[in-house]
Amino acid sequence: MKTRVVLVGGFSKAKTLARSLIDRGYHVSVINNDRSHCEELAEIEKLLVYFGDGTKPSVLEDANTFGADIAIALTDSDADNLVVCELCKKRFSVKKTAAVITDPKKTDFFYRMGIDSVICVVTSVAGIIQQQAFMDDISMLMPVGDGQIMISQVPIPVGAPAVDKTLMELNLPRHVIIGCIMRGEKGMIPRGDTRILAGDVLVLISAKQHEGAAVHMLTGR
Amino acid sequence: MASNKRADSEYTVVVGCGRLGANIANSLSDAGASVLVIDIDKNSARLLSNSFAGGIMTRDATELSALEEAQLRDADSVIVVTNNDNINIMVAQMAKELYGVERVIARLYDPERETVYSEFGIQTISPILLSMQEVNKMLGFSKSEGAE
Repeated sequence: MKTRVVLVGGFSKAKTLARSLIDRGYHVSVINNDRSHCEELAEIEKLLVYFGDGTKPSVLEDANTFGADIAIALTDSDADNLVVCELCKKRFSVKKTAAVITDPKKTDFFYRMGIDSVICVVTSVAGIIQQQAFMDDISMLMPVGDGQIMISQVPIPVGAPAVDKTLMELNLPRHVIIGCIMRGEKGMIPRGDTRILAGDVLVLISAKQHEGAAVHMLTGR
Repeated sequence: MASNKRADSEYTVVVGCGRLGANIANSLSDAGASVLVIDIDKNSARLLSNSFAGGIMTRDATELSALEEAQLRDADSVIVVTNNDNINIMVAQMAKELYGVERVIARLYDPERETVYSEFGIQTISPILLSMQEVNKMLGFSKSEGAE
């Protein structure tokens, strides 16, 4: 059976998320309490749209939330998102709940109330801005496993120490691997004898504490 | 034990100073209890009586720092009566879970949510359900399920 996802509130976020989830083959419904937003959402193919306040049990029930795999609360109100997730989890046996929140200080509280995934927009955006602003063109793609593992994107400029070397010759630290090389439009999975060229963009998977050293070895910075 | 509790040894925090919140705060204050009222709007204090002897805090009670400042940890009861059900639910749960307040009462306008949350360990009051019970009583029905 298809994975069932219910999105509550958050018009633009819901729109983008719904499209990408449908593309991946999920069965998606959205609940929104603004009629014009609902009409616009209804133009997305295969998306089920329900008009109503998703913090009300009856609306969740009408939207066939019972037993869904994932519920994601995207409204602008932290309180509404908490209630949506709690109702979904406790009343409608949804397997996994996720809430977007505005106030970073409430993250722990939300986890404590049994929400499986708490995404703080402010913290995430601040993190991305810091990365972009201070790391130059080395952009972190994502931290994994509580931020212990970093997946980062490292462009190799002309004259960098890694240019024209094979991965074997590079002798990177043990806790770092080059997972992928983006060369022009193409991405490839490198082997030990793959040679790095100027202009390549490497996707680096590394333990957090070794990332800096690895970037230095590759780019000279 | 609850029956012989004395009002003057109690510390109660009232969140939301609308008509209900203000009246509760006034009567607790008159009974000699120590009361703190939190409301996001400083104009709401006008609903408190002249004899109100408690504290007034103009803060957003959904912020943990406000609850910290209100010394919720020391509160015997927290009464959450803002005009937003979901905010009442969240603040009530913060009071209970994060500050271990023993008695937490929240007003919920929506009777549907009330039935759910009364099962989740918060004491809830719903004006609609209460009125319904009263009306039914006046009409001579003993049970309150006569909604339809």
